[in-house]
Amino acid sequence: MRVPVAFGQYVPVSSPVHTLDAKTKMGLVAVFTVGVFLVDGFWGLLAIAGCVGVALAFSMVPVRIALRGIRALTLLLSFTLVAHAVRWNPATVTLVRIGPLGIDGQGLVDGIFFVVRVILLVVGTSLLTLTTTPVQLTDGLERVMRPLEALRFPAGEVAMMLTIALRFIPTTAQEAEKIIVAQTARGARFDEGGLIRRTRAFVPVMVPLFVNLFRRAEDLALAMESRCYRGGPGRTRLNPSHMTVRDWLVLLCASAVLIVVGLLL
Amino acid sequence: MNVPRIRIVAEIGLTVALSAVLGLISVWQMPQGGSVSLVMLPILLLALRRGLPAGLAAGALYGVLDFILKPYFFHPVQVVLDYPLAFAACGLAGLFASAWTSAAQEEKYASGLWRAVLPGVAVGALGRYVAHVISGLVFFSSYAVEAGQAPLIYSAAYNSFVLVSAAACAILASAIMPALSRVEGGGSR
Repeated sequence: MRVPVAFGQYVPVSSPVHTLDAKTKMGLVAVFTVGVFLVDGFWGLLAIAGCVGVALAFSMVPVRIALRGIRALTLLLSFTLVAHAVRWNPATVTLVRIGPLGIDGQGLVDGIFFVVRVILLVVGTSLLTLTTTPVQLTDGLERVMRPLEALRFPAGEVAMMLTIALRFIPTTAQEAEKIIVAQTARGARFDEGGLIRRTRAFVPVMVPLFVNLFRRAEDLALAMESRCYRGGPGRTRLNPSHMTVRDWLVLLCASAVLIVVGLLL
Repeated sequence: MNVPRIRIVAEIGLTVALSAVLGLISVWQMPQGGSVSLVMLPILLLALRRGLPAGLAAGALYGVLDFILKPYFFHPVQVVLDYPLAFAACGLAGLFASAWTSAAQEEKYASGLWRAVLPGVAVGALGRYVAHVISGLVFFSSYAVEAGQAPLIYSAAYNSFVLVSAAACAILASAIMPALSRVEGGGSR
C-alpha cells in the first residue's frame, strides 16, 4: 500500500490565468456562481459555456484535466436527469412510453438544463484550483478574511494553521508510508478481510502517527515561540502579493460580462 | 491543564495535515462502490483531547482545505454544508473532552471509552452525516427534482459511507486515545 504524496489539482503551466492574483480568481468564482444561478435558459448556459471555454483556453489547462471532476458525478447527474424526465404512469401524453414508465419531453429538457448547469459550475469553479497553488490560495484566503479581524476573527492564526497543514502534508504522507511499509515488513496485511479486520490492521500505523503528531506540535510551538511568533495583526510576509491594475481590469470586465449574461439570458 | 494557544495552533495545523493524508488512504471499498477513509479520525481525537473550540476549528479548516484540494461546487449552500460545516460537526466530539480528561487522569481508560470516546465519535460522525444529507436535499431542491421522499432516502443512502467510516474511527479511537494518554503520562498535557 502506497500513500500518494502528490495532492491538490494545480496544473503547473505558464498562462495569463495562472499569473492572476488568487484574490482576483476567488472574486471571479464568486461572480461566476451568481451568473450561473441567474441564467434561466439554454442561451444563457451557452453564453456561460463560452465564458468557461475562453477562461479554459487562456489557462492552458488541458480540457481532459478540466473535465476530470465530472467523472465522479456521473451517478448524481444521471439521477438528476432520470428524476426530471421519467414519470410513473403519467396521465398526460409523454415523449416515449415503455409500460408504466413515460419519458416526459419538458422534464427531459429541464433535466438536461440542470445537468449542463452542474457541469458548468464544476468545471468553472475547478479552474480556480487548477491554476492556483494551495499556498497562493491560502494567502488569498487570509487577505479575503483580513477585514474580519475588526470583528476579532483570528484571520492571521487561521492562515497560519492552513500554512502549517500545507507544509506538513508531504512530511506526514512520507511518515505514514514509512510506517505502513515497516508494518507490512513485519507481516501486517492491510488489504485482507472485512472492515473490522482491516481497521484493526491500521492500529499499529495510527498509534505512532498520532504520537508523532502531538510531539511534533510541541516542537513546532516551541520553535514558533522562540522566533517571537505572536500571530495576529502586524505580521508581515516575505513575498507579499497584491492585486495589480491587470487584476482589477480582468475582475471588472469578466464580472460585468457574467452579470449581464445572467440578467439578460 | 491549560494548553498554550500557540500549541493549539500547531496541533490544529498538523491535525488538518494528517486528515488530508488519511483522506488519500482507502481502508475498505464498500460493496456498492463507496470508499471508507479515516479523514474524521484526527479531528475527532483532537476534539476529544483539546475540547470543542479546537475540534470545531480543526474540522472547519480541514473542510476549507478539502475544498481547495478537491472542489465540488453545485450550490453555495452545498459547499458550506459539505465542506466546512460537515467537518466542523466532527468537532462536536469535543463536548466529551472533559469526561475523557477526568477518566484519563484517573487512568480509568475503559470507563473513558464508554463515557467519552464512543459517544464523542458517534456525535461527531452523526453531525457530519446530517450535514451531508441536508446538502443532498439542497442539491435536489435547487435542481427542482420533485420526487416526494425519494431525495431524502437517496441522500441518506448515498452518504451512508460516513456511518461506516464512523465505525472504523470508533475502533481506532478506542485503541489510540488510551495509548496517547499513556505515552504522555495520563490526561491531556
